Amino acid sequence: MTDFQYVFATFDVAKRFGALAAVDGVSLGIHVGEIYGLVGPSGAGKTTLIRMLSGLASPTAGRAELLGAPMPDARRTIEHRFGYMPQERAVYRDLTIRENLLFFGQIYGMTRPRIAGRTRELLDLMKLEGHLHQRADRLSGGEKQRLSLACALLHEPEALLLDEPTIGLDPALRREFWDHFHALNSSGRTILLSTHYLNEAAWCDRVGLIQRGRLIADGAPDALRAEASRISGRAESEMEDVFLILTRAQPTGGRP
Amino acid sequence: MRTHRVRAVTERVLRQIWHDKRVLAFMMILPAIAMVLFGYSFSGDISDVRIAFVDEDGTDLTASILENLQADDAFDITPLEAADDPEKLLLDDGYAAVIRIPDKFTSLYYAHFAMGVATSAQGTIDLTLDESDPQIASTVRMGLADAVMDLGEGGPVDIETRELYGVEIRFIDSFAPAIMGFVVMLISTVLTLLSVVREKVDGTFSRVWVSPVRRAEFIIGYVVAFGLIALVQSLIVLTIGKTVFDIVINGAVAWAFICTILFAVGSVGLGTLLSSLAQTESQAIVFFPLVLLPSVLLSGMMWPIQAIPRLLRPLSYLVPLTYSNRLLRAIMVKGLDPWEEPVGLAGVLVFVVLTIAVASAVLRQSAGEAE
Repeated sequence: MTDFQYVFATFDVAKRFGALAAVDGVSLGIHVGEIYGLVGPSGAGKTTLIRMLSGLASPTAGRAELLGAPMPDARRTIEHRFGYMPQERAVYRDLTIRENLLFFGQIYGMTRPRIAGRTRELLDLMKLEGHLHQRADRLSGGEKQRLSLACALLHEPEALLLDEPTIGLDPALRREFWDHFHALNSSGRTILLSTHYLNEAAWCDRVGLIQRGRLIADGAPDALRAEASRISGRAESEMEDVFLILTRAQPTGGRP
Repeated sequence: MRTHRVRAVTERVLRQIWHDKRVLAFMMILPAIAMVLFGYSFSGDISDVRIAFVDEDGTDLTASILENLQADDAFDITPLEAADDPEKLLLDDGYAAVIRIPDKFTSLYYAHFAMGVATSAQGTIDLTLDESDPQIASTVRMGLADAVMDLGEGGPVDIETRELYGVEIRFIDSFAPAIMGFVVMLISTVLTLLSVVREKVDGTFSRVWVSPVRRAEFIIGYVVAFGLIALVQSLIVLTIGKTVFDIVINGAVAWAFICTILFAVGSVGLGTLLSSLAQTESQAIVFFPLVLLPSVLLSGMMWPIQAIPRLLRPLSYLVPLTYSNRLLRAIMVKGLDPWEEPVGLAGVLVFVVLTIAVASAVLRQSAGEAE
């Protein structure tokens, strides 16, 4: 694939809701094979940024591109090639696991045998094997989240947009999710995900710190640590501290 | 447009309903309950109204008036020797009316006929009437007038009724087509509304929106699902109508089905456009009475539109069920083809086109604001 430079790219993209700037001029580019983490507190603009990249929201200024296609205008050209996991555990609660996956497979034009095959693989991967015929509303929160991730992975997309995929999970399960992400990544998937768990930033290839709609730092976790250490004058290892130091170092405190 | 994606949406909607046994039961039982409940309780046919009949004249003529009254299913006639205090009979003995034919009624009656209108002397019947229930009172008035009019050879006039549709049409006969439209509209609108709102709340809508599914495919998927459900519901109404009430079906049942399905399409559109006004399921519930009440009260389902006050009548013509009732009654009772009831057909078609167009526009807005 050489028709694009970045899998996910934004160029000074902004989204205003009336007077409120949810995203305020963010430029970033994520290369093939990266895991990029958008890190920041709730309400920082992570979801809006992801929605613009997925084509669900139109930028009020600037551009958002997915696999080289301007979003949302050209979303039809790349819709088969990316998977999206919304922040809500977006599955049909009154359908079984099998039926949820069947539906999402069918709308992506997958054949029934292929859906059945992928369902087996994913349930195995997500440790949901025994629950094939269980309704989604009878699953635990973690199981539902795993099903939601499976729905995004079903059609084997090359790019993944995951909005807070680990929110509300216990630490052990979060580690498991990250194992999945790394496994997906090593099979060539590019992943952009958002999280407000700052320690998860350390597990990304690259991290964007986002606050009040602005990208206040962008780089590998180690580079961000080094930058924070330089500012504070001592060795910073905790991503939480790194984030606080970099936030305070903003001339306007991150405020536009 | 790809049929496999439409099919996926249809299949999914039907599966969701299939899993919710309460909704499923409601959908299937509602037509049955509506038919039986309304069919019996709301037939409009009044019966067992107690009337005291006092014949002080005692001629053949007054005897045939009594016979006529007794033949009327609405009345339960008790002949009395005398009634000195008719009001007491009403208040204490529970009669709805006292009919007293005074002495010399018959001779005055015939004299009046022989001499024409110029005479002042006229046969008079005394009617003491409890008007606390206007419907019963008017039934008594009409029944008495009929009984006096229809006296055969001895009477003043003879009314010969020619039944336009070959048989006498009862309330239930014209009610069945209305209930068909009503249950189909109620179920299709409410379930579509809930289903789309739920998709928004749960976030599955965003997921579908970024997938290859087009807006048209999404709507058509819903339309096909509820079209099938409408077909099943119409079948239930017709089956109960035919077996329990022996309703009159003069026209082509196929047309009735097609028009009901068409009405379901408009109802899906209505549900979808209402879904854009609700952010949560509890907000959606607010719309149920908004759909239900005008349809029941203003559509001409229970009583004719002519019975609705003139001031409100224009609203009747904004209620989609009004047109469905006209159309389905024309087909089933009158035995017409749909185009022979152009107002009804046009109303239903406008309903379909309008709601689907608006629904399609608001779906775009529901997904975010993109595309």
